[in-house]
Amino acid sequence: MQYLSSQISVLDKMPLKWVLHWQPNPGTTVNSQILNEVSQCVESLNGVKDGRWKATLTLYKPMLKEQSLAAEFPRDFLGISFPDQPNKYYFIIRGQRLVLEADSTIQIIMEKLQSYKSRVTLNFEGVQYLLGDFQLRVGKVVPNNSESLRGIFMEVEYLPISSIEKSRPIMEEFIDIWQEAVSKRSLPGHFMQIEPNFAEYGLSDHYTSQHTAVQYATVMAQIATVQSVQAVRN
Amino acid sequence: MSIKVQNEETQTDQPPTDSGADAPPKQVALAMDRLAQAARLIADIRLGGDRLLEALFMAAQPHQTSKPLHFFTKEDASMQQNLQELRSVGRQLEESGVLNESLLRWRSNCWGLHMPLVCPDGAVVAYAWKRQLAGQAGASAVDRTRLALKAFTDQKRRFFGDGLNGQSSESMSKRHCASGGEEEGEDEEEETLSDCKTLSDILKRLEKHFPNVKVFAYERLDWFRRASSLPNSSIETSVETFKEHGFHNSTKLRPGSQPAVAADRVAMIELLFPSVFRAVVSLHPAGSIEPDAVAFFSPDEGGSYIHARGFSVYHVFRHITEHAAIALHYFLGIRTETALYSLLRWVCSYEDLFSKVCSKCGRLLAMDRKSALLLPPVHRSFRLFSSTKVSSTQPKSSTNYQNLDSFGAYHIDCFSEKV
Repeated sequence: MQYLSSQISVLDKMPLKWVLHWQPNPGTTVNSQILNEVSQCVESLNGVKDGRWKATLTLYKPMLKEQSLAAEFPRDFLGISFPDQPNKYYFIIRGQRLVLEADSTIQIIMEKLQSYKSRVTLNFEGVQYLLGDFQLRVGKVVPNNSESLRGIFMEVEYLPISSIEKSRPIMEEFIDIWQEAVSKRSLPGHFMQIEPNFAEYGLSDHYTSQHTAVQYATVMAQIATVQSVQAVRN
Repeated sequence: MSIKVQNEETQTDQPPTDSGADAPPKQVALAMDRLAQAARLIADIRLGGDRLLEALFMAAQPHQTSKPLHFFTKEDASMQQNLQELRSVGRQLEESGVLNESLLRWRSNCWGLHMPLVCPDGAVVAYAWKRQLAGQAGASAVDRTRLALKAFTDQKRRFFGDGLNGQSSESMSKRHCASGGEEEGEDEEEETLSDCKTLSDILKRLEKHFPNVKVFAYERLDWFRRASSLPNSSIETSVETFKEHGFHNSTKLRPGSQPAVAADRVAMIELLFPSVFRAVVSLHPAGSIEPDAVAFFSPDEGGSYIHARGFSVYHVFRHITEHAAIALHYFLGIRTETALYSLLRWVCSYEDLFSKVCSKCGRLLAMDRKSALLLPPVHRSFRLFSSTKVSSTQPKSSTNYQNLDSFGAYHIDCFSEKV
């Protein structure tokens, strides 16, 4: 019986991915010049362009008859779709450390049920690069219906292995090399990586798209914080 | 410049040997020497020609002293000398039958030898010994055909296993056992290299030193079936279940927990360090302990290209595979009987591939100049393995090999700088 059950559970092996966001220096904003410089940085590490990439993140708000009930619903209910997982849709509620992988048709169901409405949709779009066994994606965060740059993000993936624990030293050193390359350009800001505690979300050591979804939600929260701080300043 | 063509009396060289005086091997050797000498003379003559031209050029410059004339005269003299020597060597070679095809001369007393032959296009056909095989340009058509047939048979045996030639594989494995037994001597108590004379011993010992490795052995065709179904973590889980429940699987060689079945048909060994790498070693002939190829792959890779002569899609493992080929030849060159154990142990030294920093620069990642890629230290020293047999007086805790820490890990550029 044990043999049978382990036959059925096939883990999809994915390489570890780290998602970073651009943290502008206090008093500065993110702009497309920074993005250009960052792209040049990738090329200085012998990165080769490998196509374009776009993920879509949606912030939901509940459709309620009585607005007073709104407090009972989480405010940070996110949905994300990734181009490399076209049949899946990921939900995250950061406040409660929840992540869920659903079929992409869930969006249709939500629409039919009119349970949740999209508050804002953001696109993470950029260019994919190959640096030997590393895959990088560098791009901008823009709202769906405007061109205003909300943030800059970056993904790093080490393709040969999929264990989080085993690829950690390699990833850390890559980030060091990357940060060094970026700092040479004296840009007003730096890339930051906040590693979520995957265990709190009930995720294992084997990296999956759910881990990625959690990282994007974390990045989203960071960018929103930066934006709100800037709004306050202004 | 005057060139004397006729009537040269040259006595500067040794007199040509009488054809009957020396044994054929000596004559062949002499002929080869003379050919080499002729080649050197020709080179000297070419150089002399250049120098003469240089002298002429110098003389053409204004405001010159008598220096160019002096130079010219000197060169002329040495050119004359070289040409004379060349003529005499040429005569000797002609007389000994090298420059013309006077093979008839040698039929009666040739010991199966022929004089080296200089072909019209300048190529030298050196030896035509009937017993001398592969690689010699002088091999006759018959020899070449024989060689081709042998190479083809070897290749056929590699791919289709020894099922076609069952006799030879049995005798091979018996030979291995016999040679291992002779060397055993008094070292009963301690494990020495010579104790590892069967595959089972080798794998058992390896697992003892490296508790994290998973070792599997396969018949050749079974391996290809497995390779095509990779990557599949359920197989790894189910193998562990095999261990727990003791399922019998006739193709898996599990030393210690199961009887070593089908050991004489084992042709592939898989070494898996979960989450780090998978290495495949092929044995030739099947059932022996002689490795003939090794390749490294990601533990998540799968497909029919996963075999001992395949290449990973990832740069890091491709580089390791290239390095491993050199290591394999090194181990085979040291001692064939211990090559497999040395190789497997060296392969296992890669278990810290993604964590051990380079012993030279202290970093984990470095940009390799040649491939312009960021790579971890993909080179591991293998020359430390030239250890000899341990005497029985040594304590059991110290084994033949130095411990893992002393295997330097190096980036490609750091390794070549070290060497």
